[in-house]
Amino acid sequence: MARTATAPIEAPAATTPSGNALLVTVILGTVFLLFMAFLNVVKPADGAPAGNLFNEDNLLYVALILYSSAAALYIGFGVTGVDKYVRFASYATMIGFAANTLAAGHRWYSAGHPPFASIYEMLLSFVWTLAALTLFAERKYGVKIIGTITMPLAVTGVILMQLLSSAVRPLVPALQSTWLHIHVSLAMLAYAACALSFALAMMFLIKDKMKTETFLAFTSAMTAAIYFGVLTRFERWGGLNVIAWDFQNKEEVFLQRGVRLFVTIPDLGWLFALVLLAAAAPLAFYGWAKWRKNDSSLVIANRALFISIALQIVALGAFVLRARNSAYPALDADGQLVTTSLSASPFILTGVLSGVFASLLYLMMYWRRPDLERLLPSAEVLDRVTYKTIGIAFPLLTAMIAAGAYWANRTWGSYWSWDPKETWAAITWLVYAGYLHMRVTRGWRGRRAAYFAILGFAVVMFTFFGVTYLLPGLHAYA
Amino acid sequence: MAAKQNIWDRAFRVLASLKTGITLLILVGIACATGTFILQRPITEPENMLRAYSPQTLQWLDRLRLTDIYHAPWFILLLAALGVSIICASIDRFPKAWRMIARPYMRTDVHFRSALPMQAHFAAGNASQALMAAEKAMKHAGLRPRRVVENDEVSLYAERNLLSVFSVYVVHTSLLLILAGGIVDAIYGYHGYVTLNKGQSTDQIELRTGENKKLPFTLRCDGAGQENYADGSPKKYWSDLVVLENGRETLKKQIIVNDPLVTHGIRFYQSGYGQSGELESVKFYVTTPGGSPTQVTLAGKNPVQLADGSTLRIAGFIPDAAVREGEIYAKSNNLNNPAFELAVTSPKTAAGERLWLVPTVQPTVQAKESGVTIAIKSFDDVQTTPFTGLQVSHEPGQWAVWAGCLLMAVGMIMAFYLVHQRYWAVAYEDAKTGGTVLWIGTVADKNRDHFQERFDELAKNIREQVAQPARELTHA
Repeated sequence: MARTATAPIEAPAATTPSGNALLVTVILGTVFLLFMAFLNVVKPADGAPAGNLFNEDNLLYVALILYSSAAALYIGFGVTGVDKYVRFASYATMIGFAANTLAAGHRWYSAGHPPFASIYEMLLSFVWTLAALTLFAERKYGVKIIGTITMPLAVTGVILMQLLSSAVRPLVPALQSTWLHIHVSLAMLAYAACALSFALAMMFLIKDKMKTETFLAFTSAMTAAIYFGVLTRFERWGGLNVIAWDFQNKEEVFLQRGVRLFVTIPDLGWLFALVLLAAAAPLAFYGWAKWRKNDSSLVIANRALFISIALQIVALGAFVLRARNSAYPALDADGQLVTTSLSASPFILTGVLSGVFASLLYLMMYWRRPDLERLLPSAEVLDRVTYKTIGIAFPLLTAMIAAGAYWANRTWGSYWSWDPKETWAAITWLVYAGYLHMRVTRGWRGRRAAYFAILGFAVVMFTFFGVTYLLPGLHAYA
Repeated sequence: MAAKQNIWDRAFRVLASLKTGITLLILVGIACATGTFILQRPITEPENMLRAYSPQTLQWLDRLRLTDIYHAPWFILLLAALGVSIICASIDRFPKAWRMIARPYMRTDVHFRSALPMQAHFAAGNASQALMAAEKAMKHAGLRPRRVVENDEVSLYAERNLLSVFSVYVVHTSLLLILAGGIVDAIYGYHGYVTLNKGQSTDQIELRTGENKKLPFTLRCDGAGQENYADGSPKKYWSDLVVLENGRETLKKQIIVNDPLVTHGIRFYQSGYGQSGELESVKFYVTTPGGSPTQVTLAGKNPVQLADGSTLRIAGFIPDAAVREGEIYAKSNNLNNPAFELAVTSPKTAAGERLWLVPTVQPTVQAKESGVTIAIKSFDDVQTTPFTGLQVSHEPGQWAVWAGCLLMAVGMIMAFYLVHQRYWAVAYEDAKTGGTVLWIGTVADKNRDHFQERFDELAKNIREQVAQPARELTHA
């Protein structure tokens, strides 16, 4: 009982190693993967003729490798505290960004329109904007560590892209409009700015000496919420209801207009329920510790987080394996048996990956908080920069909504039809308007402003993912 | 009398407060969100509503208007309350902003000067020379300083981006404009649909609410079509539309998706296209006995002479046929499964014979008595009158909405990127040392860190300017 009730959890002290081991490993790994990819294109294993070296897929793969290296180095810094990782991570981001730009440019050229016409292209643009903003934030604001949050997000995006159909579909008539391009560009910029403000608000909380265990509670709550969201599709005694995904065409299967086909994956539901419990456990222990003013429970809470991470990785693996190799029979609109091969429903994969990344980021903070704080600008600067970023995001959001309304009016004759996506975009706008009001008129700064910014981004994420994947599932008829 | 004023006063205070505004904002947000979780009536089919909710739940949801939130009276009331709170808040705060223009604070006093966060002062030789130096430096920095004279004391005052003080009011006014536009459209606007076959005209449309609406003109469709890309996906839908008033053609336009026809404030949008059930022409491959297959095009009910003297005509046409137990039924009027009733007369036989050709069942049939074989090679050879589906909308309030959006853009640029700055320069005698002191100060309403830098630079410039003449004096 040597600890006093008010002492925060201390991270185990460790000497910082020279850091060359990880750096060399990452560099060698990157070179190796690039070389293998190069060989695969120039001399394909199955004897097919040599492919074009600089096509979009290859460039994107290069970007993926480099973003992954950057993410690894950023997180590696977090774990070991070696400064030079951040520098090399920055280089990796720059090269990855160059490859990404070439890929996007190639896509634009071959499709004949800017990359906004399908979710694949939207992700391509989003990942590009994320990398651009990361580099911009590093240069302009000097926040070098922002890559720890944005790079894993970019990696998730590129992985998601591999699962989605990359066919260049010529634009159907409804999409042949300049206003569409304007609307989507604004959306990309606005969401990226919101993501940046979220990252800055998190960093503010770190620098503002928010207790490590509060971060634990947040991470645990977020992960539990993700698994809870996935498990709203828990049905049929242990099965997990997933939106059926046609692997050949890489699209959802519809029974009729607007009604998606759901397929039950047996047993996976139980695994996810177990992971939900494990993910919520740290939060429960945190609550107990706060109620009983008992610090030893906090130690148990942190241990519970390790178990939670391990189980989340197991869940990720199980889902990917189950989804990749198995075909699940389902009945289509005419009552015919259709074998749909599930290639991880993007929503669930994104959710699980985000949970894993968030937990890893927390670990990084737990082990390396003093080093992180050293690398960050002052809390006051972070607070101000968060506000400035939202000062950019909010007008972009407004313009995005207005452009979308104008486009809808020109195409369908109605500028606002209370469509869920539209409505949630409006709610996002209201939340950020609330932030600005509280800050400018009430003088809310610091903690409360940071919470508001984080809430805003949560709503952005729901608008982007939840509306497309959660809401339709609410009233499934299959 | 005083008590009554008190109530109105208090009510106004509550309405104008930020707390009310934020509360209303939150309530509107929650209401909007609820509408995305609960199935909404006009969009969802009634049968799906019954499948999703139990009858009791549905009854309660309907009673509370939760199944049509966005048109529910309480939602509209919420939006109206938000509008009222915006108006009250603006009225409450506007006088203060107006005072910035009407009575700018040009002359500072000692207390104000000492309290300013961004200020600098230094020793100067001569009051008027110091002020001149300050004026010069300010002009160099792009400001336009004014001389303020009071009781023989001269000071300087410069101001920039005064209009940005009103940016908040511009943004809120634009919001009110948009709300007003929405309300006008909700009351006076309508949306509907109309389908026209090629050559057909109409003066009525069917509204989304189900009722019919008469148009002040007649709309005629002279043609409709679809162009596809190489892979078969649609590239372009088009319709040739003509507007007729009192029999005269007043407007003619070919519309495509994203480019509507606008007349009398009503807009017609290219929405759908298809083949109707009216047969225009069909291409058959006909083989007479002993002959080779020849292409024969039939249009309408007129018979066509064949090589051996037989005639072929279309006696009947079903666009969407269902074959059951040897009988042919018409399933719908859409061109899904065409079936042709053919009448063949042959010089050999006296009476004609009839037979059915259903291409999806059997693309080639032979008339038994005359021996004529009729075949269809492809569905592209079956031409029916095209029809076009048009979305119709009348939105008189949309101009307020677009004006509001533009105004909001202007307001936001003003609010976020134009900074209202005020500069003062005063020369006074320092009581302690007896020398002249030049004081400069500035206030910026946002982006203070950036302005701190700019101000420091200005102060440095002035300091140099002020120091020079003093040096000259000593050197001379």
